[in-house]
Amino acid sequence: MASSKASRLGEEYVWRTRMDKVNAELVVLTYGAMVAQLCKDFDSDYVKVNQQLDKMGYNIGLRLIEDYLAKSNTFKRCSNFRETAEMIAKVGFKIFLNITPTITNWTSDGKQFSLVFDENPFADFVELPDDGRAQDELWYSNILCGVLRGALEMVQMQVEAKFVSDVLRGNDTTEMRISLIRYIDDELPPEDD
Amino acid sequence: MTVYSFYIFDRHTECIYTKTWLPQTSSTSDGPSSGGGGGGGQQQQHGPPGTSTSTSTTTGSGSGSGNTTMQLRASSADDAKLIFGTVFSLRNMVRKLGGDDDAFVAFRTAHYKLHYYETASSLRLVMLTDTGTPSMRNVLHQVYINLWVEYVVKNPLSPVEHKRGVGVKNELFEMALDQFIRGLM
Amino acid sequence: MAHLGPGKTASSKEQTGLRYPSNGKTIYHRPLNRTKTAELSQSSFAYLFSEMVTYAQRRVTGIQELEKRLNVQGHPIGLKLLDLLLMREPPRTQTRPLTIIALLHFIKINLWTHLFGRQADRLEKSSNPDTPDEYMIVDNEPVVNAYISVPREMSQLNCAAFVAGIIEGVCDGAMFPARVTAHSVGGKEEGEMWPGKTVFLVKFQPEILEREALLGKS
Repeated sequence: MASSKASRLGEEYVWRTRMDKVNAELVVLTYGAMVAQLCKDFDSDYVKVNQQLDKMGYNIGLRLIEDYLAKSNTFKRCSNFRETAEMIAKVGFKIFLNITPTITNWTSDGKQFSLVFDENPFADFVELPDDGRAQDELWYSNILCGVLRGALEMVQMQVEAKFVSDVLRGNDTTEMRISLIRYIDDELPPEDD
Repeated sequence: MTVYSFYIFDRHTECIYTKTWLPQTSSTSDGPSSGGGGGGGQQQQHGPPGTSTSTSTTTGSGSGSGNTTMQLRASSADDAKLIFGTVFSLRNMVRKLGGDDDAFVAFRTAHYKLHYYETASSLRLVMLTDTGTPSMRNVLHQVYINLWVEYVVKNPLSPVEHKRGVGVKNELFEMALDQFIRGLM
Repeated sequence: MAHLGPGKTASSKEQTGLRYPSNGKTIYHRPLNRTKTAELSQSSFAYLFSEMVTYAQRRVTGIQELEKRLNVQGHPIGLKLLDLLLMREPPRTQTRPLTIIALLHFIKINLWTHLFGRQADRLEKSSNPDTPDEYMIVDNEPVVNAYISVPREMSQLNCAAFVAGIIEGVCDGAMFPARVTAHSVGGKEEGEMWPGKTVFLVKFQPEILEREALLGKS
């Protein structure tokens, strides 16, 4: 059972022994092909592309959480949002993308934090289109926001996740902001007829 | 050990999968494994809820008085609802009494044992076995991590959520589950 | 490499209106081989692929069209991989394949090993005299199909159409235009060793065979 604190050694172990691997470039290029296809399908309406990526990520999150729970052997929910942040950064990102973003910029109420990505495998090989709009409108890795939103909803946390900066836009860092909206109650069975 | 039936409920409390294993008619196959259970051939007559749809075959040779009531039992969908209501109440009660760290694991009646496993994502697995079966917690855990995650969750052709069970009943999952459970019996 | 939209090639930095981070985290500063052997979890791929299939499904009317869409999604990846993999070859073998056989070997060995960590299982030429333009690449257990359980009513579907698209991209990029399709050939019988066996049928355009014939004579 995972202890409340994420231990680096444990995640490295899970990543190395429990996760089947594929070549990173297959994943990266597949994601690139997806984003490119969306840009085409939505006629370079990047706001819509962001939305679609978030939606796809949400669907992935709903699935991925089960894999996360199974692979990390987690039975218990985190006791607070800070612990959740740790688990996302050190376990979740580690076992699925082999990176560990930095947790920073907590608000004093402990309900908002940022993940700063030193590495972002999805963005390897990428340069946004030079059309004067993409760098202002497209969040290339927006799928990750949806993944977090979906995955956390499954463990009964409603969150909002969005990128606030991206090296692909010319910013010096890639930063995602995550805010806890509320904890979700158990759904109850419908009243019997 | 005899497994009677297996249910999966999702976070929306819907029963998205049901499977029953017919009680074996030959005593040779379930004899040795359920040796400690006592009752031998008798035992198959006392199927728990969920085997109700298949009991018609055993009534002919039946001697148990419970069979009549069993036949009157409503459809298996109602069984599932009943089971969910029961385990959900028990789970809530256990948490209320023992704190959030406590977990409802199983209960036993005179005729069967019900095993319960809940994931952090509110997926609930329920298995009904004969009374002599030891804890199935690990078995249910294996079903979750090796079968559910690999064959349902990761299957691109299966929808993300399984309204009315859509996507759960796929060939790989069903085959693997059946093999896994039969391997235990 | 993932330029979005057609017809946009990398022009030199000075001429573009693009902004770049001051710390040099751009594609121009990073070695192209940095991720050559990097790995990601197969799950990550499975989930992305899931969404790709789901997204493609929403906009199609039949299985053929779905496969076509998956093929189209794979195509640009093939074009890029051809360049990337050739660039990584030692200088002596950096030329693009010049014959059908060399090309198919490149796909069976280089492409497959890079993407899936092993070679494709077999390479065959059509034995049918009417279709000398057809070749087959056999994969006993395609990675992309690892988690896919095809329902009976869609039994014709093979999601490895995506990989077929990648192959097609490589062929097109190497100036061997072809149509590539994925077909399930594994039997459903008990004891079948490779139930997921998939044949990638590569059908070259007629002019490629003519060219090959001419080159063969000289």
